[in-house]
Order: sequence, then structure tokens, then C-alpha cells
Amino acid sequence: MKGPQVSIMVSDLTMRFPVYGVDAKSLKKSLATVTVGGRLGSSLTGATEVTALSGVNIKLKAGDRLGLIGHNGSGKTTLLRALSGAYEPDEGQIEIHGKIASLLDLNLGIDASATGYDNIRLRGRIAGLTAREIEDKLEEIGDFTGLGPFLAMPLKTYSAGMQARLAFAVATAVEADVLLMDEWIAVGDAQFQKIAHARLLSLMERAGILVLASHDIDLIRLYCNKVMVMKGGVASAVTSVKNLDDLLADA
Amino acid sequence: MQTSEHMLRTGRRGAVHEFGMAFADLKASTKRIDLAWSLAWHDIVSRYRGSILGPFWITLSMGLMVLGMGFLYAEIFKVPIQEYMPFVALGIVFWGVIVGVITEGCDTFVHASGMLSQTSLPMFTFVWRTVLRNLITLAHHLVIVVVVLIWFGYWKVSNIPMALLGLALLMLNVSWVSMAVGIASARFRDVPQIVGSIMQFAMFMTPIFWQPGRMSGGRGHALLVLNPFFHMIDGIRTPLMGGQSGSGTYPVLALLALLGWLGAFSAFALTRRRIVHYL
Repeated sequence: MKGPQVSIMVSDLTMRFPVYGVDAKSLKKSLATVTVGGRLGSSLTGATEVTALSGVNIKLKAGDRLGLIGHNGSGKTTLLRALSGAYEPDEGQIEIHGKIASLLDLNLGIDASATGYDNIRLRGRIAGLTAREIEDKLEEIGDFTGLGPFLAMPLKTYSAGMQARLAFAVATAVEADVLLMDEWIAVGDAQFQKIAHARLLSLMERAGILVLASHDIDLIRLYCNKVMVMKGGVASAVTSVKNLDDLLADA
Repeated sequence: MQTSEHMLRTGRRGAVHEFGMAFADLKASTKRIDLAWSLAWHDIVSRYRGSILGPFWITLSMGLMVLGMGFLYAEIFKVPIQEYMPFVALGIVFWGVIVGVITEGCDTFVHASGMLSQTSLPMFTFVWRTVLRNLITLAHHLVIVVVVLIWFGYWKVSNIPMALLGLALLMLNVSWVSMAVGIASARFRDVPQIVGSIMQFAMFMTPIFWQPGRMSGGRGHALLVLNPFFHMIDGIRTPLMGGQSGSGTYPVLALLALLGWLGAFSAFALTRRRIVHYL
């Protein structure tokens, strides 16, 4: 492959969410505001803006494994979604070189009444594999899930842990340069944790960059070499994981 | 480690930039049209999973409707059955496509919220998904068209190329409507209901069950000339039955498609970065 190095550059990223309440979603209410001559401006759209991220700067190169720490609602998932390309920045810029695989939601593209194999195919397609690539990898992915005969059964018969196995197997089957993960990796039983751990390590060797959001400090220590603490949409500087204790003491 | 993939996301940089990004989305979706196809096919399979006839159930019920209405209204209108039955059959089948693409368009983005909020899949992929899904359904219903045209002997006079042109223009038009109502429904949850009512109203205003020739002034009647759905149906039905569509039919449809896409695409370009937050 020719091209620039795998990297993530985030500069002054600000994300504001318009929150469209139930009221705002009704056309009648919007029309009423116009006809009744309600105040123009923000009240017209009825959307309250929430600043989810403000002025976030990140610079990562191949080999960096960034752990995101922060309370619920501190902006971790928003940041991951922005990095996945789903959310457009309101200000600032995100530039990523490399194929991105996002493992944010277990239920992405899951059809509960379809079989395990069909779900592997569907998720694989969404993740960017061609039909042929999936057929080639189907057996390997199937083996990795360890679900055996259950793969021919509808997904609704699976437990949450089994679903996690399937999702994880497909998501990590994509040869990605940048891996974005929310902390659901912690699901699954001990045996699966072990295989998943091995797979993540090999993936990290191959892939350039990992961004992992988690509340689990041990998990962060295990996988990451850099950390960033988020608080109310404001991010600390990216520092080495060695400074984690100091950071947590400050927070 | 080197890579050829590149993603750049920035804040608003003016209308030109927004249109550029919208074009990039469109281009990416055509490159991955096979994904839209997989999703559409998956929709059909999962909708009819466990049923023996699958989409042919709809074909069957449509066929029954064609039979019933064909006999009944041929009698009421005092029209020969070999003229009325194919007329109503073609009308019902192609009206089904129009309604399908437009009403299902309301769910295009709403149903894709999971994928839109955590991947960088092109948004147009989901528009094509809706369109392709309805094309697959139409392919099933073509059985009715073929049977009726052969049974009543129209296949000898059918002008297939003209009908295909008509179908292409119909799809071009309903797809921009589909995308426009998709965006509107994501923002305002009343829109699907409004669209549903309008389409039902339009069904009665469009010559599907009644023949345009029965209007005073025939095809020139204002209610027909001003009804875009009439032109869409007429552009397919008339050539299939060996007739000549009005001279204005295809130019009007082409113009409508052009203007419609300009409008719908502009709306998309301006709302694109907001759509995911509407959901």
C-alpha cells in the first residue's frame, strides 16, 4: 500500500447537538410558531443546543493506543462517533488516514430473526467487506465465535454474550488501520475474554491505532499506552498512560 | 504503516463546500451500490422470512384485485374486458411502485439511524436501498403484467423500449420524492402521515381504475395534465398496450426529474450534516 502514514489528527473539534424534543419534531408546532408570529431564532426550530465536545485536540500516529476516560455523558461516545465519520464537526477538523473499523454498538445491523451466518454476512457488508471476501472468511469468523451449530440458528435465540461474540468476531475480521471501541468488549465469558484478548493484541500489532473508551481503568492499562480524560466535553491533553494516576487524582 | 484511505471532516465552510460533500456522498454510494443492493435484498428476505410465497403473496393479492376490479368495473363502465383488464392491471402494478418508493422513503433515514450514527456509510446508500427494494418487489409483480399482456394478446403490439423509458423516468422521479420525504420525515414525525394521506388521495385522482378517455376533453383535461402521477403511469401503460403516450409525457417527466433532483439534492446538501441528529 502506498500513501501517507496511518494517523488521526483532530484539531479544535467542537460538536454541538441540537436536541430536537418531541415538540420540535411536530410539524404543526413549527408551523404554529411561524403563523402565530412566535419569536424567531432558536425558538423557531425548538432545538436546544448541547455542546457535547468543545475544543478537542488529538494527534495520534501508528502504534498509539488511546484510552478515553470520563464519566457518563462526558463526550466519550460522541468523540468516537465523530471519529467514525458519522457525526460532522461543527467547528474544527478531523482528518484520519487509514481504514476505520468502529465497534461502538453490538446491535449494529443485527437482524434478530436471521441466522448467525446471515448476520455475519450483513455486518461484514456494512463493515466494508465484499460478498466474496465474506464467503472466504465465513468459516474463520464462525470458528472464532465458537458458536458452532448455533450459527445456523436465528439470533434471537442467542444470549447477550453470544451476540457479543458474533459481533466482535465480524468487526475484528475487517483489516482496519484504526479501531474505535466502546467498552462493551468487557462482555462475554472468561474463555471468550481470553480469545478476544489475543485477537485484540494481534489486531493492535497489525492495526495502527486503537481508541478505546472505558470506565475500567484496568482495561485501559492493559490495552492503551496513551490516555485522555474527558470532563463535560472538554478533553485533557493526550498523555502517556504512566501519568494516569496523576490525571485521576486531578479529576 | 501506510494507507490509501483518507477521511476528512470539517465544520461548515459555506454552501459550495456543503454541495461538494453531498456530491462526495453520492459518488461513494454509487461505488458501493452493491451494499445498497445487499441491504435491499436482506430487507425483502427478512420481511418474508418463514412465508412460503414470500413477496409473491403481495403479487397474489394484487392479482386478485386486478381480477375482481377488472370484471366488476368492466361491467359498470361498460368497457370490453380485454381493454379494461390490462388497463387496470398495469395501473395497479405501477402505482404500487410509486406508492412503495415514496411511502417507504419516509423510513429511509429513520430506520437507518443505528448505522448512520456510528459509521461513515454514504447516506445515499439508504436512498438506493429503498428504491432497489421496491424494484425487487416490482420484479415479482411483473408476473401479472406479463400474464395479462399475453392473455389479452397485447404482447404483439407492446412497445417495450418506450415502456422501459417510461419506467426509467418514473424511477428517477419517485426516487427524488423518496429522498425528500425521507429527510422531511426524519425532522418532522408528522410527515409520514401526511405523505400517506396525499398518496391515497392521489390514487383516486389518477387514472388507475378509471380511463382518462372518459374525462371531458380526454387527456387534455387539466386534472390530468397537472397530475404528475398520470404522466408516470401513462408513460408505461400506454406503450405497453400498443398506444402512443401524449407527446408531452416524456419531456414533462424528464423536466420534472431534473427540477426535482435539483431541489431534493440541494435540500440534502444543506441538511446532510444535521440528518443524523434528527434521528
